[in-house]
Amino acid sequence: MRAVKLQLATRTLLNPAAQQWAKVPAEEMTLGGTPLHQQPSRYVRTAWAGKPLGAVRLLKVQAAHNSKDIAFRLEWADPTENRDHGDGSVFPDAAGVLFPLNGDAPLESMGSADAPVIAWYWRASMADEDDAQELIARGAGSAEQAPKSLSQARARWLEGRWEVVFARPLEANGNGARLAAGKPAKVAFAVWEGSSQERAGIKSFSKRWQELEIQ
Amino acid sequence: MAKTNGRKNGAGHQVAMVFDLNKCIGCQTCSVACKVLWTREEGADYQWWCTVNTQPGRGHPRDYEAMGGGYREGVPQPGRRPTREEWGGGWDFNYDEVLYGGKGQSVFLHPVGEEPKWGPNWDEDQGAGEYPNAYFFYMPRLCNHCTKPVCVEACPRGAMYKREEDGIVLRDESRCRGYQFCLEACPYKKVYFNFVRQVSQQCIMCFPRLEQNVAPACVRQCPGRAVWFGTLDDEEGPVAKLVRKWEVALPLHPEYGTEPNVFYIPPIGPARLNDDLSFDEETPRIPDEYLEGLFGPRVHSALQTLKAEMAKTRDGGKSELMDTLIAYWWRDMFKPYDRDPAEIQWT
Repeated sequence: MRAVKLQLATRTLLNPAAQQWAKVPAEEMTLGGTPLHQQPSRYVRTAWAGKPLGAVRLLKVQAAHNSKDIAFRLEWADPTENRDHGDGSVFPDAAGVLFPLNGDAPLESMGSADAPVIAWYWRASMADEDDAQELIARGAGSAEQAPKSLSQARARWLEGRWEVVFARPLEANGNGARLAAGKPAKVAFAVWEGSSQERAGIKSFSKRWQELEIQ
Repeated sequence: MAKTNGRKNGAGHQVAMVFDLNKCIGCQTCSVACKVLWTREEGADYQWWCTVNTQPGRGHPRDYEAMGGGYREGVPQPGRRPTREEWGGGWDFNYDEVLYGGKGQSVFLHPVGEEPKWGPNWDEDQGAGEYPNAYFFYMPRLCNHCTKPVCVEACPRGAMYKREEDGIVLRDESRCRGYQFCLEACPYKKVYFNFVRQVSQQCIMCFPRLEQNVAPACVRQCPGRAVWFGTLDDEEGPVAKLVRKWEVALPLHPEYGTEPNVFYIPPIGPARLNDDLSFDEETPRIPDEYLEGLFGPRVHSALQTLKAEMAKTRDGGKSELMDTLIAYWWRDMFKPYDRDPAEIQWT
Protein backbone atom coordinates (compact mmCIF):
# COMPACT_ATOMS: atom_id res chain seq x y z
CA MET A 1 0.00 0.00 0.00
CA ARG A 2 0.99 3.58 -0.55
CA ALA A 3 1.19 6.53 1.83
CA VAL A 4 0.58 9.56 -0.37
CA LYS A 5 2.10 12.94 0.28
CA LEU A 6 -0.37 15.70 1.05
CA GLN A 7 0.05 19.34 2.02
CA LEU A 8 -2.16 19.12 5.06
CA ALA A 9 -1.81 20.00 8.70
CA THR A 10 -1.40 16.98 10.97
CA ARG A 11 -4.57 18.13 12.76
CA THR A 12 -6.47 17.59 9.50
CA LEU A 13 -4.86 14.22 8.82
CA LEU A 14 -5.83 13.12 12.33
CA ASN A 15 -9.46 13.96 11.75
CA PRO A 16 -11.23 10.79 10.52
CA ALA A 17 -14.04 12.98 9.13
CA ALA A 18 -11.76 15.28 7.13
CA GLN A 19 -13.01 15.54 3.52
CA GLN A 20 -9.44 15.32 2.23
CA TRP A 21 -9.32 11.62 3.11
CA ALA A 22 -11.87 10.98 0.36
CA LYS A 23 -9.17 11.66 -2.25
CA VAL A 24 -6.65 9.27 -0.70
CA PRO A 25 -6.51 5.86 -2.40
CA ALA A 26 -8.03 3.17 -0.21
CA GLU A 27 -7.13 -0.45 0.09
CA GLU A 28 -9.77 -3.02 1.03
CA MET A 29 -8.08 -5.64 3.16
CA THR A 30 -9.43 -9.05 4.03
CA LEU A 31 -8.84 -9.88 7.67
CA GLY A 32 -8.77 -13.27 9.35
CA GLY A 33 -8.98 -14.51 12.90
CA THR A 34 -5.73 -15.12 14.72
CA PRO A 35 -4.77 -18.82 14.83
CA LEU A 36 -6.05 -20.40 18.05
CA HIS A 37 -3.04 -22.67 18.49
CA GLN A 38 -0.86 -19.57 18.77
CA GLN A 39 -2.76 -18.25 21.80
CA PRO A 40 -0.35 -18.29 24.73
CA SER A 41 -2.88 -19.52 27.32
CA ARG A 42 -4.28 -23.05 27.57
CA TYR A 43 -7.43 -21.57 29.10
CA VAL A 44 -7.93 -19.34 26.06
CA ARG A 45 -7.27 -22.22 23.65
CA THR A 46 -9.81 -24.39 25.49
CA ALA A 47 -12.46 -21.73 26.00
CA TRP A 48 -12.35 -20.55 22.38
CA ALA A 49 -12.11 -23.95 20.74
CA GLY A 50 -14.81 -24.23 18.09
CA LYS A 51 -15.80 -20.58 18.35
CA PRO A 52 -15.37 -18.16 15.47
CA LEU A 53 -12.38 -15.88 15.85
CA GLY A 54 -12.04 -12.52 14.16
CA ALA A 55 -15.45 -10.92 13.82
CA VAL A 56 -14.36 -8.12 11.48
CA ARG A 57 -13.45 -9.47 8.06
CA LEU A 58 -13.05 -6.39 5.92
CA LEU A 59 -10.90 -3.35 6.65
CA LYS A 60 -10.50 -0.22 4.55
CA VAL A 61 -7.07 1.36 5.01
CA GLN A 62 -5.69 4.66 3.74
CA ALA A 63 -2.28 6.19 4.38
CA ALA A 64 -0.90 9.68 3.92
CA HIS A 65 1.89 11.91 5.18
CA ASN A 66 2.78 15.59 5.19
CA SER A 67 6.57 15.12 5.37
CA LYS A 68 6.39 15.62 9.10
CA ASP A 69 3.78 13.07 10.24
CA ILE A 70 2.44 9.88 8.73
CA ALA A 71 -1.18 8.84 9.23
CA PHE A 72 -3.20 5.66 8.68
CA ARG A 73 -6.98 5.82 8.46
CA LEU A 74 -8.77 2.58 9.26
CA GLU A 75 -12.46 2.07 8.60
CA TRP A 76 -14.61 -0.97 9.23
CA ALA A 77 -18.22 -1.96 9.79
CA ASP A 78 -19.21 -2.58 13.39
CA PRO A 79 -22.88 -2.30 14.29
CA THR A 80 -22.07 -2.20 18.03
CA GLU A 81 -20.23 0.82 19.35
CA ASN A 82 -18.36 -0.47 22.40
CA ARG A 83 -16.61 2.43 24.04
CA ASP A 84 -16.18 0.77 27.40
CA HIS A 85 -16.62 -2.52 29.27
CA GLY A 86 -20.37 -1.91 29.55
CA ASP A 87 -21.96 -4.03 32.26
CA GLY A 88 -18.88 -6.25 32.27
CA SER A 89 -20.05 -8.51 29.46
CA VAL A 90 -18.24 -6.71 26.62
CA PHE A 91 -14.89 -5.10 25.85
CA PRO A 92 -14.09 -1.80 24.24
CA ASP A 93 -13.50 -2.03 20.48
CA ALA A 94 -9.87 -1.56 19.50
CA ALA A 95 -7.51 -1.36 16.55
CA GLY A 96 -3.78 -1.59 15.98
CA VAL A 97 -1.19 -0.81 13.34
CA LEU A 98 1.84 -3.05 13.51
CA PHE A 99 5.40 -2.64 12.24
CA PRO A 100 8.42 -4.91 12.44
CA LEU A 101 11.31 -3.43 14.38
CA ASN A 102 13.49 -5.84 12.48
CA GLY A 103 12.70 -6.70 8.87
CA ASP A 104 12.15 -10.40 9.47
CA ALA A 105 9.82 -10.27 12.47
CA PRO A 106 7.10 -12.94 12.22
CA LEU A 107 3.60 -11.45 12.15
CA GLU A 108 1.40 -14.33 13.34
CA SER A 109 3.28 -14.71 16.59
CA MET A 110 3.64 -10.96 17.24
CA GLY A 111 7.40 -10.99 16.69
CA SER A 112 10.02 -13.12 18.37
CA ALA A 113 12.73 -12.74 20.99
CA ASP A 114 15.26 -11.29 18.56
CA ALA A 115 12.79 -9.78 16.08
CA PRO A 116 10.35 -7.56 17.99
CA VAL A 117 7.33 -5.77 16.56
CA ILE A 118 5.79 -2.47 17.58
CA ALA A 119 2.07 -1.72 17.62
CA TRP A 120 0.23 1.56 17.68
CA TYR A 121 -2.81 0.66 19.71
CA TRP A 122 -6.09 2.45 20.07
CA ARG A 123 -8.88 1.35 22.40
CA ALA A 124 -12.33 2.92 22.15
CA SER A 125 -12.25 3.68 25.87
CA MET A 126 -9.35 6.07 25.40
CA ALA A 127 -10.09 9.76 25.68
CA ASP A 128 -9.39 11.83 22.57
CA GLU A 129 -6.58 13.71 24.30
CA ASP A 130 -4.83 10.45 25.22
CA ASP A 131 -1.96 9.34 23.06
CA ALA A 132 -2.32 6.02 21.33
CA GLN A 133 -0.29 3.36 23.10
CA GLU A 134 2.88 2.01 21.54
CA LEU A 135 3.42 -1.60 22.45
CA ILE A 136 6.56 -3.61 21.79
CA ALA A 137 6.10 -7.39 21.53
CA ARG A 138 8.61 -10.22 21.30
CA GLY A 139 6.10 -13.04 20.86
CA ALA A 140 2.43 -13.58 21.68
CA GLY A 141 1.43 -12.28 25.10
CA SER A 142 4.64 -10.33 25.61
CA ALA A 143 3.51 -6.83 24.57
CA GLU A 144 4.77 -4.06 26.83
CA GLN A 145 4.27 -0.34 26.57
CA ALA A 146 7.20 1.35 24.89
CA PRO A 147 9.03 3.82 27.13
CA LYS A 148 7.57 6.63 25.07
CA SER A 149 4.60 6.84 22.70
CA LEU A 150 4.85 9.18 19.75
CA SER A 151 1.53 8.05 18.28
CA GLN A 152 -1.86 9.65 18.47
CA ALA A 153 -5.25 8.32 17.47
CA ARG A 154 -8.62 9.93 16.81
CA ALA A 155 -11.78 8.00 16.18
CA ARG A 156 -15.45 8.32 15.48
CA TRP A 157 -18.24 5.80 15.19
CA LEU A 158 -20.87 6.78 12.69
CA GLU A 159 -23.80 4.79 11.36
CA GLY A 160 -22.33 1.40 12.11
CA ARG A 161 -18.75 2.14 11.09
CA TRP A 162 -15.61 2.92 13.03
CA GLU A 163 -13.21 5.42 11.49
CA VAL A 164 -9.89 5.60 13.30
CA VAL A 165 -6.84 7.63 12.33
CA PHE A 166 -3.40 6.95 13.77
CA ALA A 167 -0.57 9.45 13.29
CA ARG A 168 3.06 9.59 14.28
CA PRO A 169 6.07 11.75 13.32
CA LEU A 170 7.94 10.20 10.41
CA GLU A 171 11.20 10.97 12.15
CA ALA A 172 11.04 9.10 15.43
CA ASN A 173 14.69 9.49 16.48
CA GLY A 174 15.11 5.79 16.98
CA ASN A 175 11.88 5.39 18.98
CA GLY A 176 9.78 2.78 17.25
CA ALA A 177 9.43 1.81 13.62
CA ARG A 178 11.75 3.44 11.11
CA LEU A 179 9.58 5.22 8.56
CA ALA A 180 10.88 7.61 5.93
CA ALA A 181 9.76 8.95 2.58
CA GLY A 182 11.08 6.81 -0.25
CA LYS A 183 12.02 3.98 2.07
CA PRO A 184 10.00 0.75 1.78
CA ALA A 185 8.50 -0.54 5.00
CA LYS A 186 6.14 -3.25 6.21
CA VAL A 187 2.87 -2.80 8.03
CA ALA A 188 0.00 -4.94 9.33
CA PHE A 189 -3.38 -4.18 10.90
CA ALA A 190 -5.61 -5.64 13.58
CA VAL A 191 -9.15 -5.01 14.82
CA TRP A 192 -10.85 -6.18 18.01
CA GLU A 193 -14.66 -6.39 18.13
CA GLY A 194 -15.53 -5.86 21.78
CA SER A 195 -19.07 -7.20 21.71
CA SER A 196 -17.68 -10.50 20.37
CA GLN A 197 -15.44 -10.78 23.44
CA GLU A 198 -12.39 -9.92 21.40
CA ARG A 199 -9.35 -8.72 23.31
CA ALA A 200 -5.70 -9.70 23.69
CA GLY A 201 -4.75 -12.27 21.02
CA ILE A 202 -8.40 -12.82 20.07
CA LYS A 203 -8.76 -10.46 17.09
CA SER A 204 -8.86 -10.06 13.32
CA PHE A 205 -5.60 -9.29 11.57
CA SER A 206 -4.33 -8.68 8.07
CA LYS A 207 -2.68 -12.13 7.92
CA ARG A 208 0.52 -10.98 6.22
CA TRP A 209 2.78 -7.96 6.19
CA GLN A 210 1.73 -5.34 3.65
CA GLU A 211 4.46 -3.61 1.68
CA LEU A 212 4.28 0.09 2.48
CA GLU A 213 5.55 2.66 0.06
CA ILE A 214 5.95 6.15 1.50
CA GLN A 215 5.79 8.71 -1.30
CA MET B 1 9.57 -32.39 67.67
CA ALA B 2 8.25 -29.19 69.18
CA LYS B 3 8.23 -26.18 66.91
CA THR B 4 6.54 -23.73 69.19
CA ASN B 5 9.12 -21.04 68.58
CA GLY B 6 9.70 -19.55 65.18
CA ARG B 7 7.12 -21.50 63.27
CA LYS B 8 7.94 -21.78 59.65
CA ASN B 9 7.29 -19.04 57.26
CA GLY B 10 9.45 -18.26 54.30
CA ALA B 11 10.69 -20.18 51.30
CA GLY B 12 8.55 -22.87 49.74
CA HIS B 13 5.57 -22.64 52.06
CA GLN B 14 1.86 -22.24 51.54
CA VAL B 15 -0.16 -19.91 53.72
CA ALA B 16 -3.68 -21.06 54.46
CA MET B 17 -6.78 -20.10 56.40
CA VAL B 18 -9.40 -22.10 58.23
CA PHE B 19 -12.85 -20.65 58.95
CA ASP B 20 -15.03 -22.37 61.52
CA LEU B 21 -18.56 -22.05 60.15
CA ASN B 22 -19.90 -23.07 63.56
CA LYS B 23 -18.43 -19.90 65.01
CA CYS B 24 -18.87 -17.32 62.24
CA ILE B 25 -21.64 -14.93 63.28
CA GLY B 26 -21.89 -13.11 59.96
CA CYS B 27 -20.85 -9.77 61.45
CA GLN B 28 -18.87 -8.77 58.32
CA THR B 29 -16.00 -7.39 60.39
CA CYS B 30 -13.62 -9.31 58.11
CA SER B 31 -15.31 -7.85 55.03
CA VAL B 32 -15.11 -4.33 56.38
CA ALA B 33 -11.52 -4.72 57.65
CA CYS B 34 -10.54 -5.68 54.11
CA LYS B 35 -12.67 -2.98 52.52
CA VAL B 36 -11.17 -0.10 54.47
CA LEU B 37 -7.66 -1.38 53.93
CA TRP B 38 -7.63 -2.30 50.25
CA THR B 39 -10.67 -1.31 48.18
CA ARG B 40 -11.27 2.37 48.70
CA GLU B 41 -9.71 3.60 45.47
CA GLU B 42 -11.66 4.69 42.44
CA GLY B 43 -13.25 1.78 40.61
CA ALA B 44 -13.08 -0.46 43.68
CA ASP B 45 -16.37 0.75 45.14
CA TYR B 46 -18.19 -2.48 44.35
CA GLN B 47 -15.25 -4.72 45.21
CA TRP B 48 -15.40 -6.81 48.37
CA TRP B 49 -12.37 -9.08 48.30
CA CYS B 50 -13.76 -10.75 51.41
CA THR B 51 -17.51 -11.32 51.63
CA VAL B 52 -19.66 -13.22 54.08
CA ASN B 53 -22.77 -14.82 52.65
CA THR B 54 -25.67 -16.70 54.10
CA GLN B 55 -25.82 -20.33 53.03
CA PRO B 56 -27.86 -21.72 51.44
CA GLY B 57 -27.92 -18.72 49.18
CA ARG B 58 -27.11 -17.50 45.72
CA GLY B 59 -23.83 -15.95 46.82
CA HIS B 60 -21.69 -13.16 45.52
CA PRO B 61 -21.66 -12.63 42.63
CA ARG B 62 -25.18 -13.96 42.22
CA ASP B 63 -25.20 -17.67 41.28
CA TYR B 64 -21.42 -17.73 40.86
CA GLU B 65 -21.43 -21.51 41.22
CA ALA B 66 -23.10 -21.81 37.81
CA MET B 67 -20.54 -19.66 35.94
CA GLY B 68 -18.01 -22.36 35.06
CA GLY B 69 -14.23 -22.17 35.21
CA GLY B 70 -11.80 -24.24 37.25
CA TYR B 71 -10.25 -27.52 36.12
CA ARG B 72 -11.79 -30.80 35.10
CA GLU B 73 -9.29 -33.65 34.86
CA GLY B 74 -6.53 -31.10 34.70
CA VAL B 75 -8.03 -29.17 31.79
CA PRO B 76 -9.12 -25.55 32.35
CA GLN B 77 -12.86 -25.18 31.84
CA PRO B 78 -14.56 -22.29 30.04
CA GLY B 79 -16.20 -19.84 32.40
CA ARG B 80 -18.12 -16.63 32.12
CA ARG B 81 -17.69 -13.24 33.69
CA PRO B 82 -20.38 -11.93 36.04
CA THR B 83 -22.11 -8.78 34.89
CA ARG B 84 -22.01 -5.64 37.00
CA GLU B 85 -25.61 -6.35 38.05
CA GLU B 86 -24.72 -9.86 39.19
CA TRP B 87 -22.07 -8.32 41.42
CA GLY B 88 -24.28 -5.52 42.66
CA GLY B 89 -23.04 -3.15 45.33
CA GLY B 90 -21.01 0.02 44.91
CA TRP B 91 -24.15 2.12 45.18
CA ASP B 92 -24.24 5.86 45.69
CA PHE B 93 -26.52 7.11 48.44
CA ASN B 94 -28.36 10.41 48.90
CA TYR B 95 -26.08 11.43 51.76
CA ASP B 96 -26.13 15.12 50.79
CA GLU B 97 -29.90 15.27 50.86
CA VAL B 98 -30.35 13.45 54.15
CA LEU B 99 -27.33 14.63 56.10
CA TYR B 100 -26.81 18.16 54.80
CA GLY B 101 -29.92 19.05 52.80
CA GLY B 102 -32.23 19.79 55.70
CA LYS B 103 -34.44 16.82 54.82
CA GLY B 104 -33.21 14.49 57.52
CA GLN B 105 -36.71 14.10 58.93
CA SER B 106 -38.58 13.69 55.66
CA VAL B 107 -36.28 11.74 53.35
CA PHE B 108 -34.79 8.36 54.10
CA LEU B 109 -31.36 7.18 53.05
CA HIS B 110 -31.53 5.17 49.83
CA PRO B 111 -29.36 4.31 46.88
CA VAL B 112 -29.62 6.77 44.01
CA GLY B 113 -29.78 5.77 40.35
CA GLU B 114 -30.92 2.40 39.15
CA GLU B 115 -32.68 0.32 41.75
CA PRO B 116 -30.30 -2.30 43.18
CA LYS B 117 -31.17 -5.88 42.30
CA TRP B 118 -28.29 -7.67 43.98
CA GLY B 119 -25.39 -6.99 46.28
CA PRO B 120 -22.58 -8.60 48.21
CA ASN B 121 -24.87 -9.79 51.02
CA TRP B 122 -28.25 -9.61 49.34
CA ASP B 123 -29.95 -12.75 50.63
CA GLU B 124 -28.73 -12.40 54.20
CA ASP B 125 -30.39 -14.71 56.74
CA GLN B 126 -32.87 -16.16 54.23
CA GLY B 127 -31.40 -19.64 54.29
CA ALA B 128 -33.66 -22.63 53.66
CA GLY B 129 -35.99 -25.09 55.35
CA GLU B 130 -39.37 -24.65 57.02
CA TYR B 131 -40.19 -23.38 60.48
CA PRO B 132 -39.40 -24.68 63.04
CA ASN B 133 -36.54 -26.40 61.21
CA ALA B 134 -35.31 -23.56 59.07
CA TYR B 135 -31.54 -23.30 58.85
CA PHE B 136 -28.74 -21.15 57.62
CA PHE B 137 -25.10 -20.44 58.36
CA TYR B 138 -22.55 -17.87 57.32
CA MET B 139 -19.62 -18.45 55.01
CA PRO B 140 -16.79 -15.97 54.51
CA ARG B 141 -15.19 -16.14 51.08
CA LEU B 142 -12.05 -14.61 49.67
CA CYS B 143 -9.49 -15.57 47.02
CA ASN B 144 -8.45 -19.15 47.81
CA HIS B 145 -4.81 -18.62 46.75
CA CYS B 146 -5.15 -22.01 45.12
CA THR B 147 -2.37 -24.54 44.80
CA LYS B 148 -3.45 -24.88 41.15
CA PRO B 149 -4.48 -21.30 40.38
CA VAL B 150 -6.34 -21.50 37.09
CA CYS B 151 -6.34 -17.67 36.96
CA VAL B 152 -2.54 -17.72 36.67
CA GLU B 153 -2.67 -20.22 33.83
CA ALA B 154 -5.48 -18.33 32.08
CA CYS B 155 -3.62 -15.05 31.75
CA PRO B 156 -2.11 -14.90 28.26
CA ARG B 157 0.25 -12.17 29.38
CA GLY B 158 1.83 -13.90 32.34
CA ALA B 159 0.66 -11.02 34.52
CA MET B 160 -0.21 -13.34 37.41
CA TYR B 161 2.01 -15.54 39.52
CA LYS B 162 2.03 -17.65 42.63
CA ARG B 163 4.68 -16.48 45.06
CA GLU B 164 7.33 -19.09 45.75
CA GLU B 165 7.89 -18.18 49.40
CA ASP B 166 4.30 -18.36 50.65
CA GLY B 167 2.03 -19.43 47.79
CA ILE B 168 0.15 -16.15 47.59
CA VAL B 169 -1.42 -15.55 44.16
CA LEU B 170 -0.66 -12.06 42.90
CA ARG B 171 -1.14 -9.95 39.80
CA ASP B 172 1.42 -7.56 38.38
CA GLU B 173 -0.92 -4.66 37.64
CA SER B 174 1.66 -3.12 35.32
CA ARG B 175 1.33 -6.23 33.10
CA CYS B 176 -2.47 -6.51 33.42
CA ARG B 177 -4.39 -5.07 30.48
CA GLY B 178 -7.84 -5.85 31.77
CA TYR B 179 -8.61 -8.83 29.53
CA GLN B 180 -10.25 -10.73 32.41
CA PHE B 181 -9.44 -14.28 31.38
CA CYS B 182 -8.50 -14.73 35.05
CA LEU B 183 -12.03 -13.83 36.10
CA GLU B 184 -13.54 -16.15 33.49
CA ALA B 185 -11.37 -19.04 34.61
CA CYS B 186 -11.80 -18.53 38.37
CA PRO B 187 -14.63 -20.86 39.48
CA TYR B 188 -15.01 -18.93 42.75
CA LYS B 189 -15.37 -15.55 40.97
CA LYS B 190 -13.11 -13.80 43.43
CA VAL B 191 -11.54 -11.52 40.83
CA TYR B 192 -12.91 -8.01 40.41
CA PHE B 193 -12.53 -5.82 37.35
CA ASN B 194 -11.75 -2.20 38.09
CA PHE B 195 -13.82 -0.43 35.44
CA VAL B 196 -12.01 2.87 36.03
CA ARG B 197 -8.41 1.68 35.91
CA GLN B 198 -9.21 -1.18 33.50
CA VAL B 199 -7.28 -3.79 35.45
CA SER B 200 -8.41 -6.84 37.40
CA GLN B 201 -7.91 -6.91 41.15
CA GLN B 202 -8.33 -9.39 43.99
CA CYS B 203 -7.30 -10.37 47.51
CA ILE B 204 -3.53 -10.12 48.02
CA MET B 205 -3.63 -12.04 51.31
CA CYS B 206 -2.41 -8.80 52.95
CA PHE B 207 1.12 -9.69 51.85
CA PRO B 208 2.63 -6.40 53.08
CA ARG B 209 1.33 -7.34 56.54
CA LEU B 210 2.56 -10.93 56.30
CA GLU B 211 6.03 -9.66 55.45
CA GLN B 212 5.96 -7.92 58.85
CA ASN B 213 4.54 -11.03 60.58
CA VAL B 214 1.11 -9.43 60.87
CA ALA B 215 -1.88 -11.65 60.05
CA PRO B 216 -4.24 -10.60 57.24
CA ALA B 217 -6.77 -7.96 58.29
CA CYS B 218 -9.77 -10.30 57.89
CA VAL B 219 -8.10 -12.79 60.24
CA ARG B 220 -6.87 -10.42 62.91
CA GLN B 221 -10.09 -8.42 63.08
CA CYS B 222 -12.43 -11.41 63.51
CA PRO B 223 -14.16 -10.86 66.85
CA GLY B 224 -15.50 -14.42 66.94
CA ARG B 225 -12.19 -16.34 67.00
CA ALA B 226 -13.57 -18.08 63.95
CA VAL B 227 -10.50 -18.04 61.70
CA TRP B 228 -6.98 -19.49 61.91
CA PHE B 229 -4.05 -18.55 59.73
CA GLY B 230 -0.65 -20.11 59.14
CA THR B 231 1.42 -22.25 56.82
CA LEU B 232 0.29 -25.74 55.94
CA ASP B 233 3.68 -27.27 56.63
CA ASP B 234 3.78 -25.96 60.19
CA GLU B 235 2.73 -29.29 61.64
CA GLU B 236 2.32 -27.91 65.13
CA GLY B 237 0.17 -25.01 64.00
CA PRO B 238 -3.63 -25.12 64.22
CA VAL B 239 -4.13 -24.77 60.46
CA ALA B 240 -2.15 -27.90 59.61
CA LYS B 241 -3.75 -29.75 62.51
CA LEU B 242 -7.27 -28.90 61.39
CA VAL B 243 -6.60 -29.55 57.71
CA ARG B 244 -4.11 -32.42 57.73
CA LYS B 245 -4.18 -34.15 61.12
CA TRP B 246 -7.87 -34.02 62.03
CA GLU B 247 -9.14 -33.55 58.46
CA VAL B 248 -12.07 -31.47 59.66
CA ALA B 249 -11.24 -28.39 57.56
CA LEU B 250 -12.25 -28.75 53.92
CA PRO B 251 -11.96 -26.65 50.78
CA LEU B 252 -15.09 -25.20 49.19
CA HIS B 253 -16.06 -27.08 46.03
CA PRO B 254 -13.06 -29.40 45.76
CA GLU B 255 -14.52 -30.57 42.44
CA TYR B 256 -13.47 -27.26 40.88
CA GLY B 257 -9.99 -28.76 40.80
CA THR B 258 -7.93 -25.72 41.80
CA GLU B 259 -7.02 -26.92 45.32
CA PRO B 260 -7.97 -23.94 47.47
CA ASN B 261 -5.95 -22.93 50.52
CA VAL B 262 -8.92 -21.48 52.37
CA PHE B 263 -10.63 -24.24 54.35
CA TYR B 264 -13.88 -24.55 56.29
CA ILE B 265 -14.99 -26.45 59.36
CA PRO B 266 -18.47 -27.57 58.26
CA PRO B 267 -21.41 -26.40 60.38
CA ILE B 268 -23.24 -28.92 62.53
CA GLY B 269 -26.30 -26.80 63.24
CA PRO B 270 -28.81 -27.24 66.04
CA ALA B 271 -30.96 -30.36 66.40
CA ARG B 272 -34.20 -30.64 64.43
CA LEU B 273 -37.51 -30.36 66.19
CA ASN B 274 -40.23 -32.98 65.88
CA ASP B 275 -43.86 -31.96 65.43
CA ASP B 276 -44.33 -32.22 69.19
CA LEU B 277 -41.28 -29.95 69.56
CA SER B 278 -39.15 -32.74 71.04
CA PHE B 279 -35.58 -32.98 69.70
CA ASP B 280 -34.82 -35.14 66.70
CA GLU B 281 -31.16 -35.98 67.19
CA GLU B 282 -31.04 -38.37 64.25
CA THR B 283 -31.74 -36.09 61.31
CA PRO B 284 -29.35 -33.20 60.77
CA ARG B 285 -31.08 -29.84 60.44
CA ILE B 286 -28.59 -28.81 57.77
CA PRO B 287 -28.95 -31.65 55.24
CA ASP B 288 -25.76 -33.66 54.74
CA GLU B 289 -26.36 -33.60 50.98
CA TYR B 290 -26.29 -29.82 51.01
CA LEU B 291 -22.97 -29.78 52.83
CA GLU B 292 -21.61 -32.45 50.52
CA GLY B 293 -22.56 -30.19 47.61
CA LEU B 294 -20.35 -27.49 49.10
CA PHE B 295 -17.44 -29.40 50.58
CA GLY B 296 -17.44 -32.76 48.81
CA PRO B 297 -17.84 -36.29 50.16
CA ARG B 298 -15.17 -35.83 52.85
CA VAL B 299 -17.66 -33.68 54.74
CA HIS B 300 -19.27 -36.80 56.23
CA SER B 301 -16.15 -38.02 58.00
CA ALA B 302 -15.32 -34.45 59.06
CA LEU B 303 -18.75 -34.11 60.69
CA GLN B 304 -18.37 -37.51 62.34
CA THR B 305 -15.01 -36.52 63.81
CA LEU B 306 -16.40 -33.23 65.07
CA LYS B 307 -19.39 -34.94 66.69
CA ALA B 308 -17.26 -37.69 68.26
CA GLU B 309 -14.81 -35.18 69.75
CA MET B 310 -17.68 -33.05 71.03
CA ALA B 311 -19.17 -36.12 72.69
CA LYS B 312 -15.80 -36.90 74.24
CA THR B 313 -15.53 -33.51 75.93
CA ARG B 314 -19.20 -33.62 76.95
CA ASP B 315 -18.38 -36.81 78.84
CA GLY B 316 -15.54 -35.04 80.64
CA GLY B 317 -12.76 -36.22 78.35
CA LYS B 318 -10.04 -34.14 76.76
CA SER B 319 -9.92 -33.33 73.06
CA GLU B 320 -7.06 -31.55 71.33
CA LEU B 321 -9.41 -30.83 68.43
CA MET B 322 -12.03 -29.18 70.63
CA ASP B 323 -9.37 -27.18 72.46
CA THR B 324 -8.07 -25.97 69.10
CA LEU B 325 -11.54 -25.04 67.88
CA ILE B 326 -12.38 -23.24 71.13
CA ALA B 327 -9.22 -21.16 70.62
CA TYR B 328 -8.39 -20.31 74.22
CA TRP B 329 -5.47 -18.14 73.18
CA TRP B 330 -6.29 -15.64 70.48
CA ARG B 331 -2.72 -15.09 69.27
CA ASP B 332 -2.18 -18.83 68.90
CA MET B 333 -4.70 -18.71 66.09
CA PHE B 334 -2.23 -17.04 63.74
CA LYS B 335 1.27 -17.44 65.13
CA PRO B 336 3.89 -16.48 64.02
CA TYR B 337 1.90 -13.76 62.26
CA ASP B 338 0.84 -12.28 65.59
CA ARG B 339 2.74 -9.03 65.59
CA ASP B 340 0.58 -6.04 66.54
CA PRO B 341 0.17 -3.87 63.42
CA ALA B 342 -0.10 -0.79 65.64
CA GLU B 343 3.57 -1.23 66.59
CA ILE B 344 4.69 -0.82 63.02
CA GLN B 345 5.45 2.39 61.16
CA TRP B 346 3.60 1.75 57.89
CA THR B 347 4.71 3.92 55.02
